[in-house]
Amino acid sequence: MPEWLSTYNDSLGMHHAAMITTIFGAFAVAFTVCICWPKMVEAFGPAGGMACAAIIVGTFWVMNHKLPGFGIHPELITGEDGKTVQYGLIHQGYRMAAPWVDMGFAIACGLWFLGVIEARSGRGIANTIESLPRVGLVLLGGAIGGAIVGLSGFTGAELFGWENMAAPLFPGK
Amino acid sequence: MKHLGTVLGSAICGALVFGIWPEMWKSYGIMGGWLAATVLISIAWFMNHWLGVIRNPDGRIWVDQGWAVGSAGVAWAMVRFGADFARCLPTLVLCLIGGLLAGWAATAVKKHLPAFQPAEEGED
Repeated sequence: MPEWLSTYNDSLGMHHAAMITTIFGAFAVAFTVCICWPKMVEAFGPAGGMACAAIIVGTFWVMNHKLPGFGIHPELITGEDGKTVQYGLIHQGYRMAAPWVDMGFAIACGLWFLGVIEARSGRGIANTIESLPRVGLVLLGGAIGGAIVGLSGFTGAELFGWENMAAPLFPGK
Repeated sequence: MKHLGTVLGSAICGALVFGIWPEMWKSYGIMGGWLAATVLISIAWFMNHWLGVIRNPDGRIWVDQGWAVGSAGVAWAMVRFGADFARCLPTLVLCLIGGLLAGWAATAVKKHLPAFQPAEEGED
């Protein structure tokens, strides 16, 4: 078992243990949001919703994404083989050469699936189909926002410590 | 035009997250990351979900700005670092599995929680 857990799976880009922690980290934040956030809004109105951002998202960010792990290390923390070590539960693939997968996906998917299951009887499939274009629009909007922010890389603004990411599109200085 | 708000709100949420969060955590470590969530997600949630800039009609399935944060992360890394899209798939699939399990578990648990039962009529 310990050998299996610490084996790094090359084709999937993460250790076997990391696959377990990723699922759990995603599950934990999505479950907590599904249960607590609507009730917080019901109890405290918009202030409750904004408090949830701090309490739930912030705290679960620490569990799922904390990089570099300890203290303030702009350069990330590398292991014995010189590759980045990840301390969060949601492991980014291929030693962080993969695009960043945020726990927002887990939260949104959980809330979506909650809606699918809890749809009024008879409306389940219709509601699911109705929701898909809206999900697509939100994904599109997010991609536009993220891509535009990513353009700042072309101005020479190096984000130091991310050397393990794939080579940047823009030529080095 | 009714979808304009959805796309804009998603774009702004995604841009806020990846424009600020990485630098916050590199500057202030874990506390920076926690603070970034507090500051960014609160205002993004208020705009997108309380005020409804992301369109979520009554009685329909909730489409959360989490989708925007997720796709922004992938797009940001692809544009900024030239990351290969296919490489995000293992983590993405595992996150979605976790999310689906959570949605199901939340429904299952809610059935037995007093806080989620419909209000009783005429309690003495």
